[in-house]
Amino acid sequence: MIKVVNLNKSFNGKPVLENISITFETGKTNLIIGRSGSGKTVLLKSIVGLHEIESGEIWYENVLFNKLNFTGKKLIRSEMGMLFQGSALFDSLTVEQNVRFPLDMFTDKSQEEKIDRVNFCLNRVDIKNANELFPSELSGGMKKRVAIARAIALNPKYLFCDEPNSGLDPITAILIDALIKKLTEEYSMTTIVNTHDMNSVMEIGEKIVFISEGLKCWEGNKNEILNSDCETLNDFVFANSLAKKLRTTGK
Amino acid sequence: MQTGFKNLIKGNTINNSNFVVAKDKRMIKFLTQFGRYILLLKKVFSKPEKPSLYFKQTMSEFVNLGLNSIGIIAIISFFMGAVITLQTAYNTENPIYPKYLIGLGCRDSMILEFSSTIAALILAGKVGSNIAAEIGTMRVSEQIDALEIMGVNSASYLILPKIIATLLFNPILTLIAIIVGIFGGGIAGTLAGVITLENFTYGIQYAFIPYYIVYSLIKTVFFAFIITTVSSFQGYYVEGGSLEVGRASTKAVVYSSVLILLFNVVLTQVLLS
Repeated sequence: MIKVVNLNKSFNGKPVLENISITFETGKTNLIIGRSGSGKTVLLKSIVGLHEIESGEIWYENVLFNKLNFTGKKLIRSEMGMLFQGSALFDSLTVEQNVRFPLDMFTDKSQEEKIDRVNFCLNRVDIKNANELFPSELSGGMKKRVAIARAIALNPKYLFCDEPNSGLDPITAILIDALIKKLTEEYSMTTIVNTHDMNSVMEIGEKIVFISEGLKCWEGNKNEILNSDCETLNDFVFANSLAKKLRTTGK
Repeated sequence: MQTGFKNLIKGNTINNSNFVVAKDKRMIKFLTQFGRYILLLKKVFSKPEKPSLYFKQTMSEFVNLGLNSIGIIAIISFFMGAVITLQTAYNTENPIYPKYLIGLGCRDSMILEFSSTIAALILAGKVGSNIAAEIGTMRVSEQIDALEIMGVNSASYLILPKIIATLLFNPILTLIAIIVGIFGGGIAGTLAGVITLENFTYGIQYAFIPYYIVYSLIKTVFFAFIITTVSSFQGYYVEGGSLEVGRASTKAVVYSSVLILLFNVVLTQVLLS
């Protein structure tokens, strides 16, 4: 479980997040949704400690993460996996070396054990015969899968995904969503996904938090989102004409 | 007219105060940047997570930053040695000057200044821009964030191997520059007929002071540190996109070059006085 309490974050005196309090549940796919520039990525990066927050608390189970020193944070981070918007694979390393990197850095496993683990993770995300390829030789969807494989290499307790579907076609996007949900259930991880894709919301949104202009406006699940009273959320959810039509016809 | 005069004084006061404020801002900005540079160095020189991985990384930096620079250093040194020899020959045509002075001039120019300072300026352009662009691209494409999330000290993992590689390899480049430069001088001098090979060989051995080599190597080590850390600093704190990465590369070369020239004066005074 990850708990955020009264989180405030600003850049150059301009508030970006104000009084955000959320609890992200274990074994569930938690979604942070909102328009571009609403503060989703800043929130996610604050939760993982890439941004220093002004005030508030970030709890990982019973540990107050934001008050830990570098060594303490390092311990919690060894239980984290993160999928970045642009995949963030290391350009100079092959697919295999990318997935093996956390194993090389933090485990004392033998070469064979590491290779086995790499192949297991790559199989898990349906990547085959690509061990020797470099990131520049992969498609967008493959990059995301390799990044997921790298993120799960150390069996993380927490998985963070920043816009996992950006730049992907609808079919690949659905596959990536399904993969994230499956892995979350399989390993009982606490997964937080940033997205503005309504398909993802309806596919995998077990717990959804809506952020608008740095404020938490709504919290619920995919069944409740279509019947919300929150106008800003409705503007976001029913942004396209088809959705508006469906809403007015009540279907 | 009086009002105009008052306005003029008032205007000057405003301009002066603006000037002071701008100067203060520049000073604050400089001190902030310097503080960040020191903090980055502190992070870089902390205990490595896994020394074996750092060793691997250092070996790869030896190739990227060291071995791959041999070509350019050799070519430039050869031609610099040649030009120094020819220019010395044409400026010492007076029969009072013994011919072997041409060889001596080539040797001392190569050892004292070219092999360390000029070669460092060339490396600031080649290696410095490479480092800033590489680390800057990793920053904007979130690869550094990915390292941090894994619990890796990204500054140390990315920068320390580069520092070690350049500190150890640049002195080798300096020695190569000296040897190739003097060789180039000998070839050019004899081919142009301005000096015989015997005279040139006698000149490069005449009144040789071994400490000059030490002086040159000490300067090289300082310059290697400046090039690597300043360029890494510029890349590590890039914010934005490809345009900013380009700017960071330019800044890395400019700041490294200026610091090299500044430290050249300081080190010369300290080491040769």
